Amino acid sequence: MSIVLEGLTKRFEGRAVVESVSLEIADGELFVLLGASGSGKSTVLRMIAGLTSSDGGKIELMGQDVTNLEPQRRGVGFVFQNYSIFQHMTAAKNIAFGLRIRGVSRRHRQQKSEELLDLVGLGGLGERYARELSGGQQQRVALARALAYEPKVLLLDEPFGALDVKIRTQLRRSFREIQQRLRLTTVLVTHDQEEAFEIADRIGVVERGRLIEVGKPEELYRAPGSLYAATFLGAGTVLQGRTREGRAEFGPLSLELPAGQQHEEGSPVRILIRPEQVELGDGASGEHRALGVGRVIESSFAGSLRRLRIRIPRLPRTRQISPPVPYGEEGQIVEAVMPASEAVPEEARITLKGWRVLEQPRPSLLVADPLPRQRPPVEAARPLAAGLNASIVVLGVSEADKPPDPLRERLKTEFENDADEIRMRVGEPAEQIRNEQAESFYDLVVLGPIGPKAIRSRTVRGLLREASTPLLFGESREHFGKVLICTAVGEPGKSDVRVGGWLAGRLGAKVTLLHVSRDASEPPRWIRAHLDQGVATLSAFDVQAEAAVRQAASPLEGILMEARKGDYDLVVIGSHGPRTRSVIGRDDVTIQILDNAKRPVLVVPEDSG
Amino acid sequence: MTSPGAMGGRVGRGSSRLPVSVLLLVLLPLLLMPLAAVFVFALKGGPSAFWDAIRSPEAQFALRFSLLIAFATTAVNAVLGTFTAYVLSKHRFPGDRALGVVVNLPVAIPTVVVGTSLLLLWGPIGLLGKVLVPLGLQPMFRPFGVLLAHLFVTFPYMLGAVKPVLDELETTYEEAAYTIGASRWTTFRLVLLPALRGGLITGALLTFAHSLGEFGATVMVSGNLRLKTQTAPLYIFAQFEAGDIAHANALAAVLALLSFAIFFFLFQYAGGTARRAR
Repeated sequence: MSIVLEGLTKRFEGRAVVESVSLEIADGELFVLLGASGSGKSTVLRMIAGLTSSDGGKIELMGQDVTNLEPQRRGVGFVFQNYSIFQHMTAAKNIAFGLRIRGVSRRHRQQKSEELLDLVGLGGLGERYARELSGGQQQRVALARALAYEPKVLLLDEPFGALDVKIRTQLRRSFREIQQRLRLTTVLVTHDQEEAFEIADRIGVVERGRLIEVGKPEELYRAPGSLYAATFLGAGTVLQGRTREGRAEFGPLSLELPAGQQHEEGSPVRILIRPEQVELGDGASGEHRALGVGRVIESSFAGSLRRLRIRIPRLPRTRQISPPVPYGEEGQIVEAVMPASEAVPEEARITLKGWRVLEQPRPSLLVADPLPRQRPPVEAARPLAAGLNASIVVLGVSEADKPPDPLRERLKTEFENDADEIRMRVGEPAEQIRNEQAESFYDLVVLGPIGPKAIRSRTVRGLLREASTPLLFGESREHFGKVLICTAVGEPGKSDVRVGGWLAGRLGAKVTLLHVSRDASEPPRWIRAHLDQGVATLSAFDVQAEAAVRQAASPLEGILMEARKGDYDLVVIGSHGPRTRSVIGRDDVTIQILDNAKRPVLVVPEDSG
Repeated sequence: MTSPGAMGGRVGRGSSRLPVSVLLLVLLPLLLMPLAAVFVFALKGGPSAFWDAIRSPEAQFALRFSLLIAFATTAVNAVLGTFTAYVLSKHRFPGDRALGVVVNLPVAIPTVVVGTSLLLLWGPIGLLGKVLVPLGLQPMFRPFGVLLAHLFVTFPYMLGAVKPVLDELETTYEEAAYTIGASRWTTFRLVLLPALRGGLITGALLTFAHSLGEFGATVMVSGNLRLKTQTAPLYIFAQFEAGDIAHANALAAVLALLSFAIFFFLFQYAGGTARRAR
């Protein structure tokens, strides 16, 4: 192994920019570190070169531990994005610089730099200064300069990033050729997915300081594991549904889960559909992998192909993750391609030729304050995040006429240790929470305790009515041992059972399914059947569940009484969704429960399970 | 009529020359006439009188002493200023910004105040002087004292010329040299120093010119001792006060010529680098 990294870590001001990166790169391999800007990929490269010190982990080059060695003694070649050709030296002198400081004779130096000038395709230009060379030529000199003293490994930091497209492709090809001829172990950093595909033997995808996936270009394209790799490498549609009885469900579409992939029952499941895996029919064929008939809403010409975006009717219990659908738009959007020579159809029946089930996502909680006081209830989210092994995203909403930076800074210092990410939006808090949960994917939105007056405000009611993600209200409890599931009208619905069951399963809690009846007589048979079905669903989540029928004057009273008597740690209720059932002059049942339950209440929108 | 565009944006022939005339009228008594006056008076008694005035032992000493001090000041501050620029540009440490302000202060402080503070530090009754003078170490009223004053007063010029160049120079040049295998010192010598050449030359010339003309601090710390610590500007002032205007003028003309030469070179050089940069 030429390069071995073990748990390499770097922190800036307490924040990890590179976190525990471990990697082995074989002799002669061209390894590409791919990631967005600021992902920490360049820092990894600089640590290998010794230009940045590491805060943890180990670096081995050719079997030698170089973790604490100075850059001069590591024997690496480094090429920078800005070329960094020494301005006062000719190209030949630049190339010979490494030999000069090693005390190699002038004659030998000259011979070597001429050899290298030929290798990089600059024969005869040795006497030119940097200002007399184009960007591409300067980068060739930089490459030759890094090769002259025969380094053990070659490291390149976005080497083609400053060049225009045509030069870039040329230089990329000749670089790959040179690298293969010399069989020199190389690490190249880039944010350009196309570049990575073209030259890499293997690609490592870096996201927020972590190396999340490593593989050959084809493997990563066809079978990525993570959502990030799936969307970063190439186009495609990602949908999220839930697992049910060992299958992944996306509305009417039910797909088998691949063997060997761990998915908990009831947990969210994501599939990636590459554009070329989408088959466009004329509406006649009816297959079980059909997604429905969609309208072409966008078509762009891309050479031999035409890229399409097709809107299909909204699939129940399915969320769009990529491409993102703007808030307020109905339906799902699917990316597809077709030969450019054919006419673009207005409508098409969409069937899937293939797909990839992504790894089970880690649950994520959005923590935000729907009131203008801007105190996200991270306290309330912490025990739940720990129990679910969920990540916490804190949302700050600043007023339109105020700069967002002071708030961002405050949230950062307050919640640095708890939050995995801090996001900012501008506008009215409750409205922005609604937009945020609609545009990204969260399993729960934690809103914390809200007073009776604030909860009746127009915006919070709007949030309650239009949320597509379960909302958690109230002070949190340290443990979630007992969960009560019911709806505002007194009987458990499908979504609340699924969401509640999934939560209880992950938290290891017992569940009671509640039905409230107005009179003392035995409830009708269909109610019993409905409850039994619920218990059966819950047992599929590996949750211990029982059904309970309580008699009360109203569902509200029944739910509150049961919650108090059983001292439940969480009450799960369904929301009405957009159809409001409140009687004029009186409050919505949901709001009354939120006011009076005196314990955490999870409001589950109808379609979120 | 020519269009303004054809004249490269300048106002052409047909338009009023009033602004140009006004400018010349203001500058004539302000800048140009005083400069001319020095030479007119210097040559008033004819070349031989001028020559005699220059050849007097006091004048000779003053001129040589001034040149010596200017060279020494330039040499010391070239090293010290470049080093300071390097440290301030490449290293982050607590108080680095405060230090950046402090090292530039000498430009803002009146030179007479500098002289006074040096006396209050090194002089016979000064903070350090109290201890050093009984030991026979007394820099004030000696050539070394003049050098100290000049180092102080001209310190910011070298720094000011070199630091911006260093700041602009991307660290990747040094880093490239490091990965290639060059030590810090080799990198400084072979990579940074050549890149700083322009700044070094500009800084050195500015330092030299200012040292040559320094008056306020020098008059305080030198004691103005003839043939011992009297620099050319002090000599000119002393002769003028004694009513020997011819002697004063002769040396003044020489100093002015030297300054012209330096600035002519600076202008040429600055123009040259600007052209090359384009």
